[in-house]
Amino acid sequence: MAAVATASKQKPQSTWALAWRRFRKHKAAMVSLGVVITLILMAIFAPWIAPHSPTAQPTGENLADYYFQGPSREHWLGTDELGRDVLSRIIYGARISLLVGFVAAFAAALLGTTLGVIAGYFSGRPLRFYVGPFAKVAGGWKPWPFALWRVVSWVLLYGLLFLAADLAWELSGANIQALFSGTLTLNNVLSLLGLALVWGLILFIAGWGLFGQGKIDLDVIISRFMDFMLTIPELPLLLVLSALLRDTQGAVGQWAQNVFGESASVFIIITIIVLFGWIGTGRLIRGAVLSLREQDFTTAAQALGAGDARIMFRHLVPNTLAPLIVNATLAIGGAILTEAALSFLGFGIQPPVATWGNMLTKAQEYIFTAPWLALAPGFMIFLTVLAFNYLGDGLRDALDPRSRL
Amino acid sequence: MFAYTVRRLLQMIPLLFAASVVIFTLLALQPGDPLDELRQQNPRITAEQLEQLRRAYGLDQPVYVRYFKWLGRAIQGDFGQSRTYASPAGQIIFGQRLPRTLILSGAALTLALLVAIPVGIFSAVRQYSRADYLITFFSFVGFSMPIFFLGILLLFVFAVWLPERVPWFPKFPVQSISDFQWSQVLSGEITFFQFIGDWAFKLVLPVLALSTIQMASWTRYMRASLLEVLNQDYVRTARAKGLNERIVLYKHALRNALIPIVTLVGLAIPGVFGGAVITETIFSYPGMGRAIFDSLVEKDYNVAMAALAFLALLTATFNLLADLMYAVVDPRIRYS
Repeated sequence: MAAVATASKQKPQSTWALAWRRFRKHKAAMVSLGVVITLILMAIFAPWIAPHSPTAQPTGENLADYYFQGPSREHWLGTDELGRDVLSRIIYGARISLLVGFVAAFAAALLGTTLGVIAGYFSGRPLRFYVGPFAKVAGGWKPWPFALWRVVSWVLLYGLLFLAADLAWELSGANIQALFSGTLTLNNVLSLLGLALVWGLILFIAGWGLFGQGKIDLDVIISRFMDFMLTIPELPLLLVLSALLRDTQGAVGQWAQNVFGESASVFIIITIIVLFGWIGTGRLIRGAVLSLREQDFTTAAQALGAGDARIMFRHLVPNTLAPLIVNATLAIGGAILTEAALSFLGFGIQPPVATWGNMLTKAQEYIFTAPWLALAPGFMIFLTVLAFNYLGDGLRDALDPRSRL
Repeated sequence: MFAYTVRRLLQMIPLLFAASVVIFTLLALQPGDPLDELRQQNPRITAEQLEQLRRAYGLDQPVYVRYFKWLGRAIQGDFGQSRTYASPAGQIIFGQRLPRTLILSGAALTLALLVAIPVGIFSAVRQYSRADYLITFFSFVGFSMPIFFLGILLLFVFAVWLPERVPWFPKFPVQSISDFQWSQVLSGEITFFQFIGDWAFKLVLPVLALSTIQMASWTRYMRASLLEVLNQDYVRTARAKGLNERIVLYKHALRNALIPIVTLVGLAIPGVFGGAVITETIFSYPGMGRAIFDSLVEKDYNVAMAALAFLALLTATFNLLADLMYAVVDPRIRYS
């Protein structure tokens, strides 16, 4: 009887309810959740909370009196080098930081999951990649997207071959012309030999391209690409990309301005953070899927006739959700940190838009005269990143199925 | 193992080739060519002269031709001229800037390791003690701390605030580079200890700033790794045999716990080099990171290209080293 009584008392609980119960025990994570919610509310209601406009500069006589004011009742955190209210700029800065953090982390998780699950699922199962125009294969035109790709791949292959041939001539042409007009040097002869070799190779590939066919393992491609991305020095390259996309003079910059419109610099920063941010998620998901696809439930789904896409996104991805959520939460903090670093270096979001990062740039110049200018934005970045790190830690404990109450 | 190393080294070639293509293309696409600067400085420069310069810099050719020409020269050690420094870019980066960044990053990494490993061990051995909670808290604080904020804070406290209030407190410099040259020691102008002392004193703040993140995250990993090992059966066996706890900890547990740390450290080293951009900017330390930053601002791309190519090579090398070291320290791992 006693056993029945206890059983009826305990309500059945879903995974998420159990996770929430575990999460509540992590005190630091609960405090962090409070901090994050406060920050979000602050960002949403910025126009109502902020006592002043973030970009309003004082007008009238004795302008200098308004600059570098210490904290006062009128300006709780003082004013900056242009007399703008620091507190209001901090409140508006939360909008940029959180927007960048959430959008970049979400997009990176989406991209990383998609590529990771494709790499893991198709690992060891090479897909048709190239089928030449005269290759004799069964079902070479089915399904129709592959038929389309088949034609596109011919154009790509022969286009590339033409470019390579042109490049070889461009590099060696002058020397070879010199050779035929009578200047016999080792360099010129080598140029001719090199050109002959390259053009011979190109001709060979062109011949193969007519009849040949090739298969390719998507996992090899994606994994190599991730290795390659890890070889590129991240922070310096973020600076290079940011300079390239934000410039309004160059063609690439203008294109970016047109695509992203009004708040271009914010979305440019998000894009380049995502460009490097998805790799961690991609590796994580790929590893998880490699083991999940060998499990019985996957075999069962295959036996029931589920398609590849259905197995990947309905059966495999949901099983990677716990580490994915933790990863994405930590990535929010990371993205906020990256945005702040770029803005601090002057390669991020440009003034007069207030972000915590670019508020610090100016603050460093005035560290001798107005040190309080550095404290507020720096502390806000630190607090936000700390909160997301603790939140991720709490979620890791809460979502781990091995930890029971 | 040898065959594996050779294969990995061969794989590095296409990887580095692709990386250099991407970096070169991105730098070549940068808005405004280096001649813009000249045009502004000298408004009377004629179109003809500009055209000559353009040809001299090779800017009249398409990007891919320029890339292969650059590659051909770079393999021979010629990275082109730097416009702002008026000397070869390779000499600026490898002769002058790289040694400084090596000193800064090397000191920061050493400090981080020297602190992280003992503290991590202590924290794991006293799991759930008050000290453990404190250490865990501080490591969270450490890797949530934006390096640029930490740098400014350090400058404010040790270069401005404390020296103003405490009379005997040494005033740390805002510019972190020592004026002393090694040649001055050789000529007897200053003593060896003056030289070392001045360099060390000026490097204290940037090294602290640069090492904090690594210190914090390695402490956490050391703690987690040792805790996992301490739960293993062979540790229980060692204890059951009646071995001294000291021997159990240092001979049985710690050696295994250090294995993942080796990989972690190997993979973090290139990141520290690249991340030095921020530290060097805050502390006005003329190292490689600062050179990259300046060359992007000044549109002096030969310098940036040399530095970025080196960083890519460094990253690929350390990725390989981390994998190889892993096999060396862990006999269970065999590469074929």
